[in-house]
Amino acid sequence: MSVKYTPVQWNRNKWLYDGVMLAGVGAFLWIFLYVTPEVLSHERAVNPQIHNARAFGACAFVMLTVILCIGPAARLDPRFLPLLYNRRHFGVMTAFVALTHASYILNWYFNFSSSDKYVALLYANSSFGQVAGFPFELFGIFALVCLLILATTSHDFWLKFLTPPVWKRLHYLIYAAYFSVVAHVSLGILQDQRNQVFTIIFISGAAAVIVLHLAAWWAERGRSIAAKDGAWVEVARPSEMTEGRARIARLTNGDRVAVFLMEGKLSAISNACAHQNGPLGEGRIIDCLVTCPWHGFQYDVRTGRSPAPFTEMVPTYRIRIHNGMIEVHPDANPPGTPVTPVPLPAAQRSKEGALA
Amino acid sequence: MSEKPFFVGYLPVPGPFRTFLVVLSVLLVAGLGTAGFLMGAAQDDPGPGAFRFDYGRQTVTGVVALTPYPLIHVTQGNDRIKPGDTFMMTAGGKSGVDSRAIPLDGQLAQVSGIILERGELYMLQVRGGQNGLRAAEGDVPAIAVEPQGRWQLTGEICDGKCLAGAMRPGRGLAHKACANLCLLGDVPPVFVSSQPVLGSEFLLVTGPGGTRLPRTAYDYVAQFITAEGNVTRHGDLLVWEIEPDTIEVVQ
Repeated sequence: MSVKYTPVQWNRNKWLYDGVMLAGVGAFLWIFLYVTPEVLSHERAVNPQIHNARAFGACAFVMLTVILCIGPAARLDPRFLPLLYNRRHFGVMTAFVALTHASYILNWYFNFSSSDKYVALLYANSSFGQVAGFPFELFGIFALVCLLILATTSHDFWLKFLTPPVWKRLHYLIYAAYFSVVAHVSLGILQDQRNQVFTIIFISGAAAVIVLHLAAWWAERGRSIAAKDGAWVEVARPSEMTEGRARIARLTNGDRVAVFLMEGKLSAISNACAHQNGPLGEGRIIDCLVTCPWHGFQYDVRTGRSPAPFTEMVPTYRIRIHNGMIEVHPDANPPGTPVTPVPLPAAQRSKEGALA
Repeated sequence: MSEKPFFVGYLPVPGPFRTFLVVLSVLLVAGLGTAGFLMGAAQDDPGPGAFRFDYGRQTVTGVVALTPYPLIHVTQGNDRIKPGDTFMMTAGGKSGVDSRAIPLDGQLAQVSGIILERGELYMLQVRGGQNGLRAAEGDVPAIAVEPQGRWQLTGEICDGKCLAGAMRPGRGLAHKACANLCLLGDVPPVFVSSQPVLGSEFLLVTGPGGTRLPRTAYDYVAQFITAEGNVTRHGDLLVWEIEPDTIEVVQ
């Protein structure tokens, strides 16, 4: 959280995060570039430019795969949440690795002709009417453009400037980029490869992304507990609440609401963090403030407002206890609207107190 | 009630998370390193083609013949290139030598350049300007062109220069755009036959009736195809006049 823009708000965890990621990427590239040529028993080595292009291209694919696995893994197991914290740095790193791959390709395969290499890239292969031989480079260009857009707009300035909903939708381009990379590889190097190890790794990576997303979606589906009683939506029984934690309900309009129990009283706010739509309901109350599990943005659960001097706000919801059920009204209050917390029934409070 | 640890990025990492994160970090770095090794070590052999700079610059004299792609039939060789050898020529980069060779068609010429070699496939990348290709004086011997009949062949159309060693690998679909650029730049196209044809795996491929490779055939470059056409022998080099209408992709 910040009240001014700085290039990077470094802290110890971010240094460690970037250090581990750089070590991983460095290990991949160093081994691919300098160890494997010694292992390959080819009469003549692959051209250094092509070898480099392959190393950076393969690395970008693996990095993108890891990035896309982090989100669903964190949904399934909160221990992976720290990987989410500084994921944008990993994403920017991926864009640079992919750009390096593209540079090697452009300056080797599309250079040395009488045409400008950028023009040559677009016209050299025009076999659009066939699958085998399709100009797969176009998928790579599209993916690279997506990654560069995402890297450029990854800073919180753009989040604020574009507004979180637009920024979030824009950053769904990561999926378009990944599908495009899969098409790029499938119609390119995979068509020529006789050694199946690369194919197996490639398919395993893509399958991991799909399976983890499906598993996270399934788990999410199971956790959604909204039921409607007239205008109000049932969330949970009071006995199901835990001090400092929330229950999440999905409303009929698709929005999610997080109902927190703080100091024996119930309050409801939007489940979507104003920063990057992080799941506030999976966060905790720390120092009387709801803390987002993704990047630690904080809100007063009674008002939906970040503590001064911060200005972030999320919608609040009216709440009641009716026929032994906690219910929220699906009409959201404007962001930052104070709502009086509803005390838990006395019997439940004493139970909470005993448990605590 | 036991409280599960909760990670907040700007706060110290909770104790129970630390071990998990250390193990995860080690696994991530090791996993990326292993992936780099497996993917790097899975690269196919790009073949034996190469620029033979180790042979040094080669200068020989011979008869220029257009197929329409320019060939040189060597009449006066050296230690490495013998009289009677026939090879294709190319310029630097993705360019042919047509503009220099066409005025010398059927004439004696001196060529100078670097050999590209891949097994039986030879090509000479000639030097720039007149240093690379210029008219020579002397008697011009007749070069026999021997028809070898109509053949149906299976294999791949490549650009002769990359295939011969300018790039490793210099064939396959990942290289298709580069091959097309070379062909558009008048680098001679070469057909790599799946079975030897009259003792040769490589044939210079042209269009019917001694024309250039038709643009319609470019869609099939780098694919495994079968097609028909007449084969002729020019010196020790086979030339296949592919008929585009007969091209079929082999699955």
